[in-house]
Amino acid sequence: MSSKVKLSKEADQKAAEIIAFHGYSSLEELVEDLISKEYDKIKSGDNKEELANKLSGLGYIS
Amino acid sequence: MKRRDFLISSGTVLAAAPFLNFGAGAPLGKKMLVLGFDGMDPGIVSRLMGRGELPNMQRLSGRGVFTMMNSTIPPQSPVAWGSFISGADPGVFGIFDFVHRDPKTYSPMFSMTETLPGSLMVNIGRYRIPLKSGHIVLKREGPAFWDYLEERDIPVTIFKVPTNYPPSASHQRTLSGMGTPDILGGYGIYSLYTSDENESQADMSPNNVYYAYIDENNVMEGQIEGPKNDLVREGENVVVPFKVYVDNKHKTARIDIQGKEILIAEKEYSDWVEIEFSMISHLASITGMVRFYLMEMGGKFRLYISPTHISPRDPAVPISTPSGYSRELADKVGLFHTIGLPADTKALSQGAFSMENYITQSLSVFDESCRLFDYELQRFSGQKQALLFFYFSSLDQGQHMFWALNDKEHPYYHPEESRKFAYITDEMYRKFDRVLGKALKSIDPAIPVLVMSDHGFGPFRRGVNVNNWLVQEGYLKLSVADGVGEEISILGYADWPASKAYALGLNGLYLNMKGREKEGAVAPGERRKLLEELKAKLEALVDPKNGQKVISCAYISEDNFSKNFIDRAPDIILGFDRGYRISDKSALGTLGKEVVSDNMNWWSGDHCVDPKKVPASFIANFKIQGQVPGIQDVAPTILKYFGIAKPAQMTGKALI
Repeated sequence: MSSKVKLSKEADQKAAEIIAFHGYSSLEELVEDLISKEYDKIKSGDNKEELANKLSGLGYIS
Repeated sequence: MKRRDFLISSGTVLAAAPFLNFGAGAPLGKKMLVLGFDGMDPGIVSRLMGRGELPNMQRLSGRGVFTMMNSTIPPQSPVAWGSFISGADPGVFGIFDFVHRDPKTYSPMFSMTETLPGSLMVNIGRYRIPLKSGHIVLKREGPAFWDYLEERDIPVTIFKVPTNYPPSASHQRTLSGMGTPDILGGYGIYSLYTSDENESQADMSPNNVYYAYIDENNVMEGQIEGPKNDLVREGENVVVPFKVYVDNKHKTARIDIQGKEILIAEKEYSDWVEIEFSMISHLASITGMVRFYLMEMGGKFRLYISPTHISPRDPAVPISTPSGYSRELADKVGLFHTIGLPADTKALSQGAFSMENYITQSLSVFDESCRLFDYELQRFSGQKQALLFFYFSSLDQGQHMFWALNDKEHPYYHPEESRKFAYITDEMYRKFDRVLGKALKSIDPAIPVLVMSDHGFGPFRRGVNVNNWLVQEGYLKLSVADGVGEEISILGYADWPASKAYALGLNGLYLNMKGREKEGAVAPGERRKLLEELKAKLEALVDPKNGQKVISCAYISEDNFSKNFIDRAPDIILGFDRGYRISDKSALGTLGKEVVSDNMNWWSGDHCVDPKKVPASFIANFKIQGQVPGIQDVAPTILKYFGIAKPAQMTGKALI
């Protein structure tokens, strides 16, 4: 997979704002962090809300 | 006899009874009937038997045995029935709680199944079509005991056993039970239409509450929400509209939906109504089914719509083996509930149901189960060789909701409701005795019959927020200074590198291990000392309100389970003492205001406690050897009866 990504001007501006707001050191660090978070989300399967709905459906939490 | 006396004496009775050969005095048959009455408590059975109110269970045990049976650690249904299926302790089949967690993210996740999404999407117009379809995976590991019977060509029917959704591959007749979702992928999302404006604004999430606007022609319009249409780019939910024609004079209503006309009177349920949810016009649809319940008319209009069950006639996902088995049942007996736990406990907890409404629904579910049992019993009677396992959920769900009716010490005790409905628990036990009586009449008396539960029951008076306790004791640190006493999630506000332990699930406590958790803080060399320190402190925890012990035993997992899948287990299983259970908030990692607080909910009885406090029941018309049996012993016993040696991975032992 190519490691080079071309961003639109709008996305580039937004990325710059996010980097400034959160204190990322670079665009690469921002992208790596976002990928890591998204990966965790996929790997964690059911999210907490879905799980809460399931436990509520079973009755164990109200 | 007091409950405690019974529990102590039952072991003695067994020990004193000489071992008798299985089915002594009768030729060994090749058929066996096992009835699974979820939650049947040996203390209550003993009390009612003592009064002569369970004559069939009495008769059964008179030829064999009635004893308590050890449940699993913890005594949760997915774990205990998993142990029944596998003939082993939870370490072998890998399910330790309703909720597990991913150590790489700390996120709680459902233990019984995993949903793998579809992938490789292609876009066609407004549709997104997956080239590789998504599917649901059963997380219970290893073979089921009926697999060994299949190898010997012994026909088996396994009806709705929990922890078998989706049903594991088999040529036997199996229908999935607890774990089977509704059409939305949840475990039962109901809808309520009410003309009471205040009620229509109540928070009953994730369920749907709507204001019932009835126009000048006495017509109300509504809709049933179907699954999210992942085939459409926007991913909106599919909805099916319906109209209700209200006739207040005759206290009846006509519901028009997808060309069907359903007539119901006040306080009545409709039959099951099948609904088609169109995903791609004329090409792809999903069939669900609901029941309408016209709770009130006249002064107030209240219409309850059940969760949308998967239709057994045309299941959208696999719910049986062979796949046509659920259709056969629907064709022969009629449509039936497919959600694993079908009585709507949350409708009562949230106030959509009155106690009377709940009992009406509970009895309706029970009657439906009885019709299905009659059908299977008839098949079983005609077979020369077979095992029939049939599961009933009503006793478990009922005791969760009815406990406070008979418990004056419970903070949610309502004298008025108790006066009207306290009879219901004992009545349910009597109903189950009659189910057994019917079975005994229709089968050869030489056939071994076992009536069993997965756990007993006890009060849930006070909820324990274990995460609050961990914060208080300094084992769990927060990233916000003023977080103590606030309802915040540890998933967002724990200072993980400084935290040594956290609690998730209904009985689970985890160490924050280096090399295992994402930001672990406990080195492997510290592990054992910390486990023992936590065990001692947890077992010393007392309720500040009354000085009672909160946790009777904290079980260290590595001392209690086989090692196969122990990596999924909590490091400590919390065995709550009588009257206590994990709080709702703590189960999913949210902090509360106090460590221990009153449980103000109709969900007032529970079993997610120390297994010694809620043993299961074992009633059979054959003798068993040894002391008190365990639920993992049942599968090796069944196999031995059919002449099959115990497989190596089974940690249970044959009782015959």
